[in-house]
This record gives sequence, structure tokens and C-alpha cells, in this order.
Amino acid sequence: MSTLASCPSCGAALSFRPGTMVAVCPYCKALAARRDRDPELIGKVADLVDTGSPLGLGASGTYAGRAFTLAGRVQLKHPLGGVWDEWYLALDDGRWGWLAEAQGRFYLTFTQAPHGTLPSADSLQAGGLADLGADGMWTVGELSHATFHSAEGEIPWAVEPGATYRFADLSGKNGAFATLDYSETPPLFFLGREIPLNDLHIQGGVRKPTKLGTQSLNCPKCGGALALHAPDQTQRVGCPSCGSLLSAENGKLAFLKSLRQPAQDVVIPLGAEGLLQGEKVICIGQLRRSCNLEGIDYPWNEYLLLDSQHGFRWLVQSEGHWSVAVALPPGEVTQAREGLKNLSALGMNWRRFQDVQAVVEGVWGEFYWQVEQGERVQVTEFVAPPRSLTRERQSHRDGGEEVNWSLSTYLEPGEVRAAFQLAERLPSPMGIASFQPNPHKVALAKSALWLVGALGLLLAMVMAESVTHRNVELFSRRLDLMELAHLTPGSTEVARRNIPSRRPAPAQPRTAATTGDPATAGAQEPVFFSGPIEIKDGHSNLAVTLSAPVNNAWVSLEGALVSETTGVAELFLLESSYYHGVDGGESWSEGRQTQEVFLSAVPPGTYVLRLAPEWDGRMPPVGAIEVQLRQGVMRWLYPGLALLAILLVPLLMVFRTAAFEGRRWQESMYSSKTSEGGD
Amino acid sequence: MRILYLLFLTGGFSLMVANGFFGREFFGQRRRADLPPSIRQTPGAYRTFLHNNGFHGGK
Repeated sequence: MSTLASCPSCGAALSFRPGTMVAVCPYCKALAARRDRDPELIGKVADLVDTGSPLGLGASGTYAGRAFTLAGRVQLKHPLGGVWDEWYLALDDGRWGWLAEAQGRFYLTFTQAPHGTLPSADSLQAGGLADLGADGMWTVGELSHATFHSAEGEIPWAVEPGATYRFADLSGKNGAFATLDYSETPPLFFLGREIPLNDLHIQGGVRKPTKLGTQSLNCPKCGGALALHAPDQTQRVGCPSCGSLLSAENGKLAFLKSLRQPAQDVVIPLGAEGLLQGEKVICIGQLRRSCNLEGIDYPWNEYLLLDSQHGFRWLVQSEGHWSVAVALPPGEVTQAREGLKNLSALGMNWRRFQDVQAVVEGVWGEFYWQVEQGERVQVTEFVAPPRSLTRERQSHRDGGEEVNWSLSTYLEPGEVRAAFQLAERLPSPMGIASFQPNPHKVALAKSALWLVGALGLLLAMVMAESVTHRNVELFSRRLDLMELAHLTPGSTEVARRNIPSRRPAPAQPRTAATTGDPATAGAQEPVFFSGPIEIKDGHSNLAVTLSAPVNNAWVSLEGALVSETTGVAELFLLESSYYHGVDGGESWSEGRQTQEVFLSAVPPGTYVLRLAPEWDGRMPPVGAIEVQLRQGVMRWLYPGLALLAILLVPLLMVFRTAAFEGRRWQESMYSSKTSEGGD
Repeated sequence: MRILYLLFLTGGFSLMVANGFFGREFFGQRRRADLPPSIRQTPGAYRTFLHNNGFHGGK
């Protein structure tokens, strides 16, 4: 139930709900403080700044099943310029809610009794953690102060014209938000969360229509035409014609100073409209920033984009690399202490890349804060290609400090060109950007499916081969070399060494040769002819194995598998050679006593195996050799080659991926080569 | 890179299929020769014929 009273200044009717501390007269702007009897005049308020808020006094809505009315609003000034609104929700259960509005985001909080002692303002640091005991750990997003500017309606706290309030904004995960208000002792604790406006189901209310479209103005210094696309939020304008820095408040431009601007390197012109990642955007400003590393300046351009929801994002161009950045609530990122190399946030692991001090060098277009040439922020970058998390820590002139996190996503130049329908091709990227996606990694990931499929196919084929290769023995014989060469122990007969000098072998009847009887194979030729070998499978390979227990000697075998039908001969050579000894105190050995040769499959039919052993000297080094002919022998060379073919390209990709990452991290302050330690 | 990978896979599996299912061999010391009937019927002539046709065995 509201209490009616009269304005102490003009006598107009004022209403005070339960909990209202101050009411603003809508007629004379008088601030009337609630007292036991009549309201007390405590001052007058300035005109409200048109912040373009979508909310209006008297609007109603629901929150958590409770109806509320927007009963009042306070406008507070930020030390870096700009004004934000705090709306007061009078809920039908008598509670009050604080609805803060800043840069298109809304934070609804309620006063809470803290469960423990709240930390002092001096013990907090922007970007650090605030331990609220049972109320949890919070990230300090901003530690600063606000100055009362104006108000309307009913205010549930004792505002004072011109007063300054110290506060700390705390951010938690999943949009949790809290404020510590140090205007009182002990500090007040407000707890809530960021809330989409639609969740409040707000209807009605009295508000000025939002300024839509472009406001055309002229530079007060040079008269050049300027177009403000976000006149409600613009704080500073850098005139692209004369380089003047202008203040923009309430839609009016005022000359501040002339800037010595660097040459403007324009890719996205001011006012250019585009469709970036499905969102309509317009380029309203351009910053040239740089950092200095080891005496070398590294400049980059940042284009400020305004989207259709009146939100801001940045399009960053550095050495031909592009990215788009959006602001993140600090609480979404766990506190990153100094020296921390790895960070877990947003469900990903991020690796620290660099810490630099960024300086604003050039200012063109409009900006939603009081940007200045030479403005410095400490930037810490964590990367997880194709994204990066950037922390910007900025100190206020009056001692305040704030930390802003932004999430950047890498863009290909072609995406930027297409988004803004640029006629000219964009310059090619130079080097490797800190969070540029590794193209080889993408290709490697794509090839993984192929790799798995090919390995599966290989396994299936090996299994099929192991079943179909029966390793059938077609011929096996132990050949007595002494007998074969018609030698007896102590014989002085020369077996043979040099074929051209050898006596011509006497002709032997075919029937004798095919009997397998070496005694009739020739007087001097140690040649053996097998009996008929029946080969039925014309699709399986053949393997001939020679085994000879040679010792510091060799025996070779010249063989031929001759088709009795066609006369086609498969010729092969085998050698059993084994040498060993001691040299310089170290034993050595080389060669093998067993050797195998593989022959291609032959047409089915009857074959004869001709075997002609050779050795060095007169006497054979061993008494006998073993010769074996098998069919359908699994040869692992081919699965090995197939495996190599399967793995070679992925291995090449892995190598290229690693090389790419190596080049990327060469530029980092936190590469394994440039730093040690970790989290 | 994908085409290169396809070529490698095709080559590797072709070799394996040719060997595993058609019995073809591509590596090793072996040759093929047509022996005239007169040679086949004369065992001692093999060596000379083969030697004269470039098949040199032994050390």
C-alpha cells in the first residue's frame, strides 16, 4: 500500500511504497526523502541521460512467479565515462530488486544478508578472487566507484545528489552476479544473476522511444560529416577527417583535442554494413593498437561493430589474420593467477600465449567509452585454437581497476571479405596467429576416419589371407651334395666353379632326369631334377626354402620350376651363407643358413624342379642341403607395405601438425623453450 | 593431401590384394624364361641356356 505525500518543492503528489526511501518529483525533479511526517527536500536531480534503455518507469513484469513494477531508476556515472541505469523492481511481496543495465546486459540482484564477514574493498583486486565464505568464491570484475547522476520514481535507498559510491562487481559462473556496496559499513551484499530481459516478461511503462538509425552530425572542428550509429551509447568520436577527438554526450559533439593519428589503414570502412556469423553488423569505429616487444612495435587494427541487438563486438585484424571478439562476464572464467600457464574455462583448456601491454595509437569513429590516445591495458592471452580468451586489465585514473574478458574466434580472410562484400582481396595472413586453427590438424582429424577404415580393411584382409594361405608343402628333399657331385671323400675331382670353363655336360635322357635319381643327372654337374610336381592352385604364391648348415662358407642354389606343359620356367637363386669370427676382441657374424625366395603363382599343371647347387672349392662345405617348395605362404611384407601406406600420410600430417604448432609457439612467451614450469 | 593418401592406400592395398589373392610376387631374385623343348630334354643344357640368357647364379 503506497503512502501519498506532497512534493516539498512544488507540492505535486508523491507516492511512497513500503521500502521507498527517496522519491523524485516528476514535475520539479526534487528529491524527496521519506521522513516520519512530511518528505524532506534533499536536492534536485539533473535531467536523465537518454541511455536508450528499453525499460520505462511503471512497466510491469514477473520474476519467479511474483509480479513487479518498475518503481524507480537511478543513473550512475562510471569513472571512465558513461552512465548506466539501475532500475528498482517493487515486487508484490514487498521485496525490492535491483536491475542494473549496462551495454545491453541486465543484472537482477536482491539484497542479501551475508553468511560471513565481507572482504574489505582494499583487500580486493580486479580480476582476483573474492572469498565470501559460505556465499562462495567470486571473480572481481570491477572495483571502482559510481557517482550519482540522476533519478526518477521511487528509490529504495537513500541517494544523495552528487554522492559517490564505492562498489565491487563480482561475477560467478553461469551468469551469477553480485555487488558489494561499500557506501555503508558493513558493506551491502547484492546477489543475483545476469538475466535476459525476456525472462522478466516486462510490459508497458513510460519511456522515450529508442533512437534508431543514424544521427548525422558535423565535426565541431572541421565541419566534416559524422554519422553516429549508436548515439545513445557513444562517448567519444574520433573524426576521420581532421583527427580530432570529440566527446559525444546526449547526441552533441564537443571538441576535446587534436590527435596525432597514425596513417589509417582501412579495410572495413566506417559505416560499412555486413552479415558476420549470421548477425547484421555495422562498423562504427576503428582503433589502432600496438604492443612493444623487445623494442619492436606490433600494431593491429580493431574494428568496433554494432549488431542489431545494440551489442558490440570487435573485428580484429593483425598481420592479415582476422578474428571476432565478444565480451565475456568475468565470472565465466576461473581466476587466472599470475604465472598460470593453463586455464580451464568455458569447458575447454586454454594455454597462456602472451602478456603484453596494448596501447591505443589511433582512434577513428565512435566508441562507447571515453577512449583516449595512449590508453594502456595489460593484455593476457590464452589460446585454444581457433579461439582465444583475452583478459584486459585496466587501471582507472582515480585508482579503480577493472578486468574484462573477451572471447575471440579466428576468421578466415575470405569470411570477412564475404561478410562485408569487399571488392578487393584481403592481404594474405603473415606468419601464424596465436589462435589460428592448425589446418594440418583439421586434415589429420578428417583423415582419422580413413585411417580407421583402412586399418580395419587391412585387418580383415590379413585374417582372410591367414585363412586362405594354407602353406601346402609341394616338395621337400634333402640333397646329398657329395653324391650329387659324384664325389667321394678325398676325391680330387673339381666340382666346378666357372661355368664357361666347365666341361660341357653330357646329354642325359629325359627319362633319367625326371626320375629324381641324381646318380644319372650328369657326371660333373651337381644338378638335381625332381619328379613331377602337381600344382592345382593357380592363385597362390610359391616359396622355395634352402637350408644348409654352412659354417664360414656358402652354398648357393640355382633353381628353376619348369612347366612340363608349356616349358615356362620360374628361375630363382638362393644362397645359404654364414660367416662369423672374432675381430678386435668382438665377435661378429653375418649371413643366414636358411634363405627363402617367393615365386608368383603359376598356372595349374605339372612342374619339375631343377636344382643346381654351387659352392666354393672342390669339396662341398656341407654334406647335404634341405630344399622345400611350398604353396600359399603368407608373406608379411605386403601387409607391412599396406600398413606403411596407411600410416605414411597420417604420419606426414602429424609431422606437419607438430611443425605448425612449433612455429606458432615460437612466438609465445610461454612456449616450452621460452619458459618453464606450469600450473 | 587427400589425393596423395588415396594413391598410397590404392597402391598399398593393390599390392596386398595382388599377392594375397592372386599370388603375385613383386620382390625377390627370380625371373621367368621359356625353355625350348630341346633344352628341357637335355638337363645339362639348362645351365648353359640359362647362363647365356642372363641368369647368372652363384658367387
